[in-house]
Amino acid sequence: MHKTNLGGRALLVALCWTALAAAATEADKPRGLPSGVDHTATSPEWETIRGKLFQNRSIDTTSGKVQLAVPLRAPFGAAVPVKITSGLPQLPELYVKRVYIVVDKNPSAIAAILDLTPEVGQADFETRLRVDEYGHIRVISELSNGELHMASRYVKVSGGCTQPPNRDQLHNIGKTVFRLPEGVRKDAPTPAEVQVVHPNDTGFELNQITVMYIPPHFVRSIKVSYAERKVFDADVDFSMSENPSFRFNFVPHGAGELRAEVEDSKEQHFTGMLAVSLP
Amino acid sequence: MGALRLAATVCAALLAWSLPAGAEGIPEKYSPVVIRPAGEPGRSEFDLTAVAERAKRDNKRLYVYLGAKDCAYCRRYESFLDENSKELVPHFLEHNYIVVDLRSTLSVTQDKLLIRVGDSSRPYAEFQKAIGDVRARMLVYPMVWLLDGNLKPLMQMPAGTGTFQTVPEQLEILQLVE
Repeated sequence: MHKTNLGGRALLVALCWTALAAAATEADKPRGLPSGVDHTATSPEWETIRGKLFQNRSIDTTSGKVQLAVPLRAPFGAAVPVKITSGLPQLPELYVKRVYIVVDKNPSAIAAILDLTPEVGQADFETRLRVDEYGHIRVISELSNGELHMASRYVKVSGGCTQPPNRDQLHNIGKTVFRLPEGVRKDAPTPAEVQVVHPNDTGFELNQITVMYIPPHFVRSIKVSYAERKVFDADVDFSMSENPSFRFNFVPHGAGELRAEVEDSKEQHFTGMLAVSLP
Repeated sequence: MGALRLAATVCAALLAWSLPAGAEGIPEKYSPVVIRPAGEPGRSEFDLTAVAERAKRDNKRLYVYLGAKDCAYCRRYESFLDENSKELVPHFLEHNYIVVDLRSTLSVTQDKLLIRVGDSSRPYAEFQKAIGDVRARMLVYPMVWLLDGNLKPLMQMPAGTGTFQTVPEQLEILQLVE
C-alpha cells in the first residue's frame, strides 16, 4: 500500500512536471518582439481584421491625429490602462465619427467600436482592457470625411482573458455610475467617467473553487447621452476589463442629465443617470 | 492551452515541494541582501530600513524581489537569473542596483505582509498606495520593485516576473524601458 502510494505520487509529480514543462515550453516560445519593440508593426491578426473592417481603404499611421498611450508592461493583464487622444477638436464640419479599439491577439480582437457625435467636444477616451498575450493594441479613428488614422502600441502582458475577476460586487451587477472629476464647464469639453459594475466574464476564466470555467457574461453596449442628445454609443465585449469604464468628454450647453443605457450578453438592461447643473 | 495552464497551476505547489533544497532565492552571484521576515506566523514584516539607507548613502537603486519558498514561478525566475548570471550580473552592477531578496511563503497573503521603513510599518496594500504602486490591490508572487533610496518607484512594474524572463527583457527592466 505504502509502495503504491509512493508510486502514485511519483507518477503525479512526473505528470505535473510534464504539464509544467509543456506550459513552460509554450511560455518560452519567442513572443513577437522581446526587445527593440516596433510599435507600428503589423501582424497577421491585424491584416485580417483590417480587411474585414476597412477593406482597401487607406489608413494614415503618421498624421498624429490620433494618439495612444499604453504602458509597455501593465501591472495586470486584465486591466491594461489605455488612453486615446484625438489631435483635432470635435466640430460639426469635421469630427471623429468612430473609434475602433483592437487588441490583435485577443480571442475577440475588436474590443470596442465607439460611435461619436460632435457632442463629445474632444474625442479623448480612457478605458482599461484585457490583453491575453504579447501583441499590439491599436486605435483607429474614422473622421466624418471618411479619413482613417491609426496609432498602435506593442504591449507585453499576458493572461488578461483568463485571470479570475474579483467577484465581490455581484450583488451590484449593472450599477452604472457617472463621475465628473473636474467639475462642469459650460459650452466646453467636460471630462466625465462612466463605470458599470459587471464581472465582464470572458468564458476563459477559471473558478478556483469549483475548477470550472465561468460562463461568459459581459457588457455588449454602453450608450451615453446628455440632455437627450447622443454623446457616444460603444459596442464592447469581454476585451474590456471587469467593471467596464470610459473616461470621455461631453459639452454641456445647459443643465441636463447624463444617461447611460447598458446592455449585457444576457440581454439584461441597466441604466445610470447623473443630473448636471451648470455653475 | 487553457487546460495546460490549469494543470500547471494546480501542480505548482506540488512541484515547488519537489524542487531541490537550497534552490530558494536570488542566486548568490547577484550578491543579494537577504531579508527574512520578523513577526511570523500571523504577520510577516520585512524591514527595508537598512537597504534604503544604504541606497541613499551610496546613490544606488534597489531591485527588491519578493519570492516565496513554495512558489514554482519564483523558482522559475530564480533559475532564469541563475542560468543567465554571466550576462546579467554586469548589467545589475552597471545600472547601480542593490539586489534585495525578501524571503516569504505563499501563506503570507497581502493582509499578513508588512513593510517596515524606519518607525513606520505598513501592510502591503498601504505600503503600495503610499509609494504610488498600482499593484496595491493584489499581491502576486513573485514580485519585483525598482526603487530609489527614498523608496520611490523608478517605474511601475508588472505583477509577476513572466514578462521579463528573457535576457533582452530583463535588460529592458534594468534600463527602465516603459
